[in-house]
Amino acid sequence: MFLSKKGVTSLPICPSGSVGCQVSLGNLFDRAVKLSHYIHSLSSEMFNEFDERYAQGRGFITKAINGCHTSSLTTPEDKEQAQQIHHEDLLNLVLGVLRSWNDPLLHLVSEVQSIKEAPDTILWKAVEIEEQNKRLLEGMEKIVGQVQPGEIENEVYSRWSGLPSLQMADEDSRLFAFYSLLHCLRRDSHKIDNYLKLLKCRLIHDSNC
Amino acid sequence: MDLRQLLLILALVCANDSLSTSEVILGRPQIIKCRSPEQETFSCHWTDRDFYNVTTPGTVQLLYMRRNDEEWKECPDYVTAGENSCYFNTSYTSIWITYCVKLINKDEVLDEKCFSVDEIVQPDPPVGLNWTLLNTSLTGIHADIQVRWDPPPSADVQKGWITLEYELQYKEANETKWRELEPMLTTVVPLYSLKLGRDYEVRVRSRQRTSEKFGEFSEALYVSLSSISSVLCNEEIQFPWLLIIVFGTFGLIVVMFLILFSKHRRLKMLILPPVPAPKIKGIDPDLLKKGKLDEVNSILASHDSYKPQLYNDDSWVEFIELDIDDPDEKTDGLDTDRLLGDDRCKSHNCLGVKDDDSGRASCCEPDIPETDFSASDTCDGTSDIDRSKKISEKEEDLLCLDQKDDDESHAIPADPTTWKPNTNIQSEDNQSKPPFADSIESTSPPVHTQLSNQSSVANIDFYAQVSDVTPAGSVVLSPGQTNKRRRTQCDAYTEPAIQCQPDFTMDNAYFCEADVKKCITATSHNAVEPRVQEQSFNEDVYFTTESLTTAAENPGAAAVEASSSEMPVPDYTSIHIVHSPQGLVLNATALPVPDKEFMISCGYVSTDQLNKIMP
Repeated sequence: MFLSKKGVTSLPICPSGSVGCQVSLGNLFDRAVKLSHYIHSLSSEMFNEFDERYAQGRGFITKAINGCHTSSLTTPEDKEQAQQIHHEDLLNLVLGVLRSWNDPLLHLVSEVQSIKEAPDTILWKAVEIEEQNKRLLEGMEKIVGQVQPGEIENEVYSRWSGLPSLQMADEDSRLFAFYSLLHCLRRDSHKIDNYLKLLKCRLIHDSNC
Repeated sequence: MDLRQLLLILALVCANDSLSTSEVILGRPQIIKCRSPEQETFSCHWTDRDFYNVTTPGTVQLLYMRRNDEEWKECPDYVTAGENSCYFNTSYTSIWITYCVKLINKDEVLDEKCFSVDEIVQPDPPVGLNWTLLNTSLTGIHADIQVRWDPPPSADVQKGWITLEYELQYKEANETKWRELEPMLTTVVPLYSLKLGRDYEVRVRSRQRTSEKFGEFSEALYVSLSSISSVLCNEEIQFPWLLIIVFGTFGLIVVMFLILFSKHRRLKMLILPPVPAPKIKGIDPDLLKKGKLDEVNSILASHDSYKPQLYNDDSWVEFIELDIDDPDEKTDGLDTDRLLGDDRCKSHNCLGVKDDDSGRASCCEPDIPETDFSASDTCDGTSDIDRSKKISEKEEDLLCLDQKDDDESHAIPADPTTWKPNTNIQSEDNQSKPPFADSIESTSPPVHTQLSNQSSVANIDFYAQVSDVTPAGSVVLSPGQTNKRRRTQCDAYTEPAIQCQPDFTMDNAYFCEADVKKCITATSHNAVEPRVQEQSFNEDVYFTTESLTTAAENPGAAAVEASSSEMPVPDYTSIHIVHSPQGLVLNATALPVPDKEFMISCGYVSTDQLNKIMP
């Protein structure tokens, strides 16, 4: 289980200015997997809490219909697809998804406070997820820098346009917007976690975890 | 598209409503659960009701729909997962996509569920459980074993597609409750301190690391440790105990001898302790040996705190009781009589009193001259703080009894000085003190002469008399003048009109209502206010400055009082204000006659009652 975030940040990656210092890819992947696992557990808990508290009896079953803003990114949907995709592409996809969540998470933190009687745990988790997501993004950029040095991919990510729905006056609609967003967050964090574990086993342990 | 979505929403909403109602109706098939063991395939199972089959056999269908689809599709495989199930293989399974399945029976929706595959992962149980013995303890009672297993074959952990967490449970073969270990990521775990000679069962289950639901348990592994213990000899287990006992006893004996020989003398002291010589605390025995009695006495006298130890309650009680029982007999031996006969011994030197067995001689308090107990240098004049308090408590009983006997022991009174403002003079009004005191003191001789004529019926020598004021402001009561004396004085000094009859039905030393009534009325004629001693609840007796002020305001009255020996010195003052519990303000005004109700209680008048008296 992932420890505190301080446990990760206190480890020096490379002192600034030093030449030739490189944290091994294995270590980078270990840290990335820990972070992604932590983010997924937080978003899972957050979604469950929100569901329990606000979604009961409101019939938010339309989650079956609505998609997430990251659906435009074609990510592998099962194991075969994930095995067939090239690891560089997969890494870039992971980066894309992470970048796509920068904006929504920022607004989630500010807007979730406007929910009536939002419990502190939800607020705290939103803040924590937003921070850790940034950290994971940095880590992933480092990994990409090591795996495919020199190549600068186009920054592919999905724009999020759900802010108005989070600020709607109608409470039911607003709560449903939060519900959808948290559901998508849980799903995408699970995706990222899975992809990173897959990549770690493939690249570091040679498919023999 | 939007219209279709809208229709779908409506359909789902309606389905949800029907769902809620269907749950109430018993006997309808329901989807028990949908489960994916490895995040690659999944299957759904539902219940079947017999009667349903009878009526409409085998028409139950499962439809599913993915988020991207537009219509419901039928289950691709009803067989692989068993009866009443639907199996979706890898080609039909997409992770992170929402599926909705519904159970229908000829267009009648029986049940419906929506989920995504990553939420329903419940792995198969681990396989290949086995155990090995790590080590056994020296005593041969406990052993450690290591259990290892393999992940379920269906789960692809090697490629990292799924990450598993395991939970192990074990118990003794004859127990019912399983003991759990914390979930772990490894497939090897040691079990410590299992008992040899017992059999254990071990089982493991797994779950995906990010979810909460565990899969099924593996089959229980049987760990038989009973076969191992037979190797050890019984004698080996017992042998150490004998050795321990023998060596222990030996060691104890050795230690005892050592103690005996080393602490020979001390032991002798312990076993046969010497008889302690008598010893007075604080007194250097050398002084006694050298025969310096004077020094010893001075030491004794100067140690206030030791005084009470010289007297315990018993001696006082004894002393008191004797007086009550045999008033006549005691009158002769009373100090007051002695005093009457003798010249007033001005010295407070207790040593001047001959030391009889009564013990009163040694309880003198030479440090308190205000006592003005010049009349008696006996224990009557003593004003030990603690003792006086004790006395005051006992005096209640004393005086009650005494009064009932209707025995007037009007010995020489301690003067009205008992009520001297010395008792609680507040600093602001110190000026009033001297004249007042003087006036009072000057009355003492006449009082003495007055009352000396009276028979010495002082069967009780000590009464609540204020003899000292402690720095804290509380009052030191010492044996002294009684109410009776007061009343007597009152009686003697009352103005012609009314005789201040002491009412001995009152058995309280503090506040005699009758006296109040009578004495107070007497004071109306008298400029000098009678002083009433009011016992506050804290047993502190004092006057407030106002009383003194009023007293001071009437110096003339005091002078009158002083000049005329015949003028009675009333002892009571009406109470003006009660600063309870700190004290009272005494007033010169006459009080109305208290009600009869006050006569009832043999106790002090409470402030409430006083308030009623007040005008």
